[in-house]
Amino acid sequence: MNWLPMLLDATESTAANYFPIGIQIIFAVGFVAFMIALSAWVGPKRKTSDKLESFTSGISTHGDARHPMAIKYFLVAILFVLFDVEVIFFYPYAVNFKSLGWGGFEAVLLFVAFFLVGFFYIIKKGALTWED
Amino acid sequence: MSAIQIIFWFLSALAIVSALMVLISKNPVHSVLWLIMVFFAISGHYILLNAQFLAIVNLIVYAGAIMVLFLFVIMLMNLNNESEPQKNVWMRLAGAVSGGCLLMILVSLVRQAIEINNKVAEMKVGDIGLIGNLGKALFKDYLVPFEISSVLFLSAMVGAIVIGKKN
Amino acid sequence: MNAIILSALLGVVMMFASVFTENKIAIRNIAIFGLLILLASNLLNIYTPYSFNVDLHNMLRFDSFGLFFNSIAIVSTLLYVILSGSDIVKVGNYPAEYFALIFFVLCGVTILSSYNSLLMLFLGVEIMSIPLYILTGSDKKNLKSNEASLKYFLMGAFSTGIMLMGIALLYGASGNFNLEMIREKTSIAEFGILAPLGLLLIFISLAFKVSAAPFHFWTPDVYDGAPSVFTSFMATIVKTAGFIAFVKLFSLRMADLGPSYAIILPVIIIATLLVGNITAVFQQSVKRMLAYSSIAQAGFMLFALYTSNDLSTEGILLYAAAYSIATIGIFGILIKMKDYTFDGYNGLAKKQPLVAATNTVFLLSLAGIPLTAGFFAKYYMLASALKSNGSALWLVIVAVLFAAVSVYYYFRVIQAMYFKDGDAETTEIDGTFKFVLVVLALLIILIGINPSILLRWYYF
Repeated sequence: MNWLPMLLDATESTAANYFPIGIQIIFAVGFVAFMIALSAWVGPKRKTSDKLESFTSGISTHGDARHPMAIKYFLVAILFVLFDVEVIFFYPYAVNFKSLGWGGFEAVLLFVAFFLVGFFYIIKKGALTWED
Repeated sequence: MSAIQIIFWFLSALAIVSALMVLISKNPVHSVLWLIMVFFAISGHYILLNAQFLAIVNLIVYAGAIMVLFLFVIMLMNLNNESEPQKNVWMRLAGAVSGGCLLMILVSLVRQAIEINNKVAEMKVGDIGLIGNLGKALFKDYLVPFEISSVLFLSAMVGAIVIGKKN
Repeated sequence: MNAIILSALLGVVMMFASVFTENKIAIRNIAIFGLLILLASNLLNIYTPYSFNVDLHNMLRFDSFGLFFNSIAIVSTLLYVILSGSDIVKVGNYPAEYFALIFFVLCGVTILSSYNSLLMLFLGVEIMSIPLYILTGSDKKNLKSNEASLKYFLMGAFSTGIMLMGIALLYGASGNFNLEMIREKTSIAEFGILAPLGLLLIFISLAFKVSAAPFHFWTPDVYDGAPSVFTSFMATIVKTAGFIAFVKLFSLRMADLGPSYAIILPVIIIATLLVGNITAVFQQSVKRMLAYSSIAQAGFMLFALYTSNDLSTEGILLYAAAYSIATIGIFGILIKMKDYTFDGYNGLAKKQPLVAATNTVFLLSLAGIPLTAGFFAKYYMLASALKSNGSALWLVIVAVLFAAVSVYYYFRVIQAMYFKDGDAETTEIDGTFKFVLVVLALLIILIGINPSILLRWYYF
């Protein structure tokens, strides 16, 4: 098979276009795995119990890492997901920007207007202010 | 067996095994990590079906954003081994029996469905999953559901404030 | 279309109201005014050509059935907000948000009354459910409310997942989301075996939403745990909207779905009646009794699926109105009680004669006693079953027997109010509240004397 034209020709969208990406992923994963294996194999081995403990700048560890965390993080995360999904809807629009014309523009504008209302509401309610 | 078939079987096996591991893992954080594995396998399937945009969105939204939320929830709930409630053996048995019945019915129905027997999904061909065609469908035929879905987002925002905001 | 667009916009208006004012009375009044506008816009949609002209791509279809149900839902919400609005604003720190969520639920309700595509069915169910999960958990300091919300959310999300699976199978079998594809085939089995399976999964999911047995397990806990004002909303407008969605999808094709469906539906009807009525008898809390009674009432509404004729479509609309009005009234009074057990009602008739009298009317209507709206609602349902299918007689007899059982637990409340001595403690009851109660009771009696008062608007 002639690889070079396929690598250059991106106009035709098929799953085969992902072949270079696949090679890259395999190479990246393989390289990392290889380096880790290599350093484990070549490097010196000295097993002590101190080495297995988590490093906390010399202070001895206490308690558990599983502490309930503040709800603020969660609030920000969930708002992020909502706007993340909104942004994703822009991709299919951007690709068809010209062919959809004004009708598509109005549709997106309405969608964004709803989100802007939500954004305004979130700001006014102080959901994004960290200190309270 | 062609290369695509090998990839298909590999991804299917990966998806099913990972999904099982989500249920089997004792540690909830491991469950989440296995779930991310499931999403990657499903994304692989999407690419095989030539639905590339869907594959990437699946990774960005599900494997990226929503799984982070899952981790947050797990950390919020402070799930330790001690706090895990003891499950009733009979409840487990009843669940296994009823779930098994459902599985049996689904499998037997799919086996009976002559219209899909001996048929292979269209791999590599078909272009509805491409971003351009998806956009045309979304902003023309499916415009009404698209706009109405913004109401869903708004109610989610209000909900996040009502439930999540400290006061 | 008017109602869908305006309910979404009014939800936004309420969100802004929360930003600009803290005044609870003003917020309630804005909501009442918004509901009046919503009602007017829906009436304009029905009786005049003034409506938003949107290219729907066959996603929605507006018929007199759906639009008339919209009117019922909006009027019920209006009465609910006028009656219990002052209690809604007391639930927590977000009074305007609660109304915004109620408007979003109404948006889902209006979509469910007009969907013509399985995609819109899914969106409608979600838009209706998600605000409800939030309203259920709005009493944040109350552990029971939190538990109910989480339970409702997990179970609801699971059932929506089942619905999506069903929609996917139906789409796979037919290559189409549109409901016409179901209508134009003489038998759903023409699509192959995947389509009936898909329909069955959607059936299960919708049965969950209307809390039909054996998918009712969430109902008592959620209705009991949620703040009482929102239980009232959940048990009335939302539940009847679920039935409208159910009827729109299934009533046409139930008969020719094959012999297995002909068995499934009667079994579900009887199971729902049995679970609802028998368990309600043993309850000590009126709120929990009402949760089980709502399951029992769902059993009667399921008769609208059993047959498909004029009587059943009229019947489900009449049932939606009669059941919603009576339940809103009962819950309105329940919210004012300090003690939710049956004993809490002891001697209410002496302290609040008017409230007790109207409560009696509502309870009689739920029990289906003649001269109340509930009687005709039940009558239409059972008559439609008999009219289409003579062999349904045994099913009708069973239903009547369970209706007789229901009289027992409804009368326990009446007995407590009139024939037991006690000091029924209530929070403050003002004149508006009593006035709306009287209006509700009059509506029940008027419809009970002559149901065509309501139904003639359907054929206008």
